[in-house]
Amino acid sequence: MNLLTQPDESKQVSPFFVAYIVHSMQIGIGILGFERYIAKDAGYDAWIGIILSGFTIHILIWMVYKILGNGQNDIVGVHSSLFGKWIGGLFSICFIVYFCLFSITIVRSYTEVIQVWMFPGLNTWYLSFILLLLVYFAVTGGFRVIVGLCFLGIVYTIPLLLLKWFPLKEADFTNLLPIMNHRLMDLFKSSKIMTLNYLGFEVLLFCYPFIKRGKSSQKWAHAGLILSILVYLFTAVVSFAYFTQRHLNHIIWPTLSLWQTVDLPFIQRFEYVGITLWLFQILPNICMFVWAGSRGLKRLFGGKQKHMLMFILLLIFLASIRMTNRGEIDFFTTIVGRVGFYTLYFYIPCLFAAQIVMKRVRKKA
Amino acid sequence: MFNWFKARNTGAETNQRDQMSLIDLHELCKKSGDFVSFQPINSEICVSYYNTLVNKKVINKDILAYLDLHKGLTLEQLIEKIPIERPVLTEDVQSMKEKLLIGYVMIFYPEQPSKAILLPASEKKQRQISFPEAEYTVVGPKEGFVESIETNINLIRKRLPIPELIIEETTAGTFTKTKIAVVYIDGVANEENVNTVTQRIKGISYDQIIDISYIAQMIEDNNNSVFPQMIDTERPDRVAAILSEGKIAILCDGSPYALTGPTTLIEFFASFEDYFLSWHIASVFRLIRLFAVTFSVFSTPLYVAVLTFHYEMIPENLLYTLISSRSGIPFPPIMEAIILELTIELLREAGSRLPSKVGQTIGIVGGIVIGTAAVDAGLTSNVLLIIVALAALSSFTTPVYKMSNTIRLLRFPFLLMAQLLGMLGIAVCFCFILIHLLKLTSLGRPYIGPIYPLRVRDLKDALFRLPFDTQNLRPFEVRSPHPSRPPIKKEKDIDE
Repeated sequence: MNLLTQPDESKQVSPFFVAYIVHSMQIGIGILGFERYIAKDAGYDAWIGIILSGFTIHILIWMVYKILGNGQNDIVGVHSSLFGKWIGGLFSICFIVYFCLFSITIVRSYTEVIQVWMFPGLNTWYLSFILLLLVYFAVTGGFRVIVGLCFLGIVYTIPLLLLKWFPLKEADFTNLLPIMNHRLMDLFKSSKIMTLNYLGFEVLLFCYPFIKRGKSSQKWAHAGLILSILVYLFTAVVSFAYFTQRHLNHIIWPTLSLWQTVDLPFIQRFEYVGITLWLFQILPNICMFVWAGSRGLKRLFGGKQKHMLMFILLLIFLASIRMTNRGEIDFFTTIVGRVGFYTLYFYIPCLFAAQIVMKRVRKKA
Repeated sequence: MFNWFKARNTGAETNQRDQMSLIDLHELCKKSGDFVSFQPINSEICVSYYNTLVNKKVINKDILAYLDLHKGLTLEQLIEKIPIERPVLTEDVQSMKEKLLIGYVMIFYPEQPSKAILLPASEKKQRQISFPEAEYTVVGPKEGFVESIETNINLIRKRLPIPELIIEETTAGTFTKTKIAVVYIDGVANEENVNTVTQRIKGISYDQIIDISYIAQMIEDNNNSVFPQMIDTERPDRVAAILSEGKIAILCDGSPYALTGPTTLIEFFASFEDYFLSWHIASVFRLIRLFAVTFSVFSTPLYVAVLTFHYEMIPENLLYTLISSRSGIPFPPIMEAIILELTIELLREAGSRLPSKVGQTIGIVGGIVIGTAAVDAGLTSNVLLIIVALAALSSFTTPVYKMSNTIRLLRFPFLLMAQLLGMLGIAVCFCFILIHLLKLTSLGRPYIGPIYPLRVRDLKDALFRLPFDTQNLRPFEVRSPHPSRPPIKKEKDIDE
């Protein structure tokens, strides 16, 4: 394994684009329906959970940057230098599988949203195929193109936040009162669920070599995270203020339901536009995961990234047509969420510690 | 006997142009009816030229007259006696051939056919400088390029009287031997860009280069793209402005257009007139143009998508209007839209193939007669007619002709996808185009800059055209070695 594979400068992006990468990866399909889950335990105090878990993610980003900065490489290189070729490779494969699982949930959840809200009779394979075709087209463009998609995705979807004005006209902020009437344990439970929405920034582990002056990009990663926290907080507070808690329990996608309140003279049922525009938000997510996965495979096994890409896309396609109903999708999403949770809070700190220990040991030896 | 053998040998079998002798060349040229070769009275010297390429006045007054005066001199002595700029004495047959074919007069002694004098006496027929036809502006300069490269370079030099303005000349095309000039300002243009352009031009291998658009298609970064990657302009003032931004222009003999690059997508929607108007007005106009493009691409597909799949999206009052206009129409929205779009394209195509006066008539006949008749006959709804006509009109606001063609073409894939997947189809198609644009480069520089990669300082001349005193930096994309321009004014405090 070559330890320093610095890509050509023309393939790299400026440090501040990390903010867009992090933000875009964190805002995905989850934001359409996270309110119900986080309110399950902590009720309408769940917004505190959003901030709490956001704070822990800050620490994780700091760790990720320490790991990458010390290793001066992507995660595949770090693994192999820490654990050797075989065990390190195994860990890297786990990461790649995790990214694939994540992409599957995104593809399948988005197709589900489309099937429920826009085209009830649409075949899953048809839509997945078109989505994955787009992904293939984008990923063959390379990292810069994907980052461009992240950036443009944000540019196109951030204005949707302005539409919260319509529900805010009828919002009742007393819903949120009294503050802190739940036990601390419930708050932690809620913030644990919330962390799943912040997943996605782990791709930094793979795209670090593609960022110019990698170390200096850390502040931008934190900035992107802060933006994500604010967006989640705003979304949740608006939903909490608009729906009563009992009502919210019955709504799978509160954001979509809120778009229904949009009242413009030339358009009704605004959620159609919203769901359509959401393609710009989820497409970069899938692309980035698939890119990271295929690059990881290439780094491990050699060969062409294009072939790896095809392989991963085929995998995603087969898996996403396999799931047919809401129960299965929900089950799968929960599993992936759990895997993600342990990757974040267990594996990354372990890796961080292992790296420090190794460094000390090697210095002595 | 020896001569006869030699002549036959070269003429028939070894047709290698490199080893051609002067006599062979002479024989080859004589096959053409307009080649003249004669010996002036009482002289052993032979004068030959293509009489369609030369100026006869020059021959009679400045060449034949002096030949008559100085008889019996060797070619070396003779060359000093004839008062014509840059005469050439050469033994190279290849260069004799080339020079003859661009209007030189060849003088040699048939007794010693090894060397000859070549005197420039060419006369080029060309159009007078006239108004720019495709990029007409109400205010601002009114001269446009013509088909002669010398005149065009003269027009540019007149506007940029600095020695740093460099013109690199090459030729391309095995038959046409078209002169191509790469023009840039030394020290302002990025050398890497210049090298890219010259390398690519050197790489051209084709027998004919008729127009600059041939070159454009051959040196573009991605010639499978529907988007033009270099701007062609017929305005010398625009070329001068583009050159001083640090970009590069390519001119070619026989084409009244200059090709400029590297460029970005946004620039295609900037008319040069924007710089002649005050910045507020120019910015508004530019925004209107960008809106027009969006409207032109998305309006008909949206109509199809909404009426096929999502009629719940239309508010009640509007729905009533739409339904009443569509009642009794036998086709689904997609058929209706395609029929109308094709009609408009037909009208445009017919209008542009006909002479301008007839073309106008066709426009009126098509627009008014066919349009109203189609609605009266119940073939299309009048709402769609309005949309399609507005979309066509909007596509013509794009200042660069090639780009407006692209814009018109783009809506057909959108229409198809709208029929397949409604609004989502439009989004998918838009994503495809977006990814394509993200991948696209112009001379190796990103095509949708300054939006991605985001260069905030270049946004001053992208969606808006801010005043000149803010335009004190050259576009980042050009990577000019001297990015700063002289600032126009310093900030003043109160009462200073």
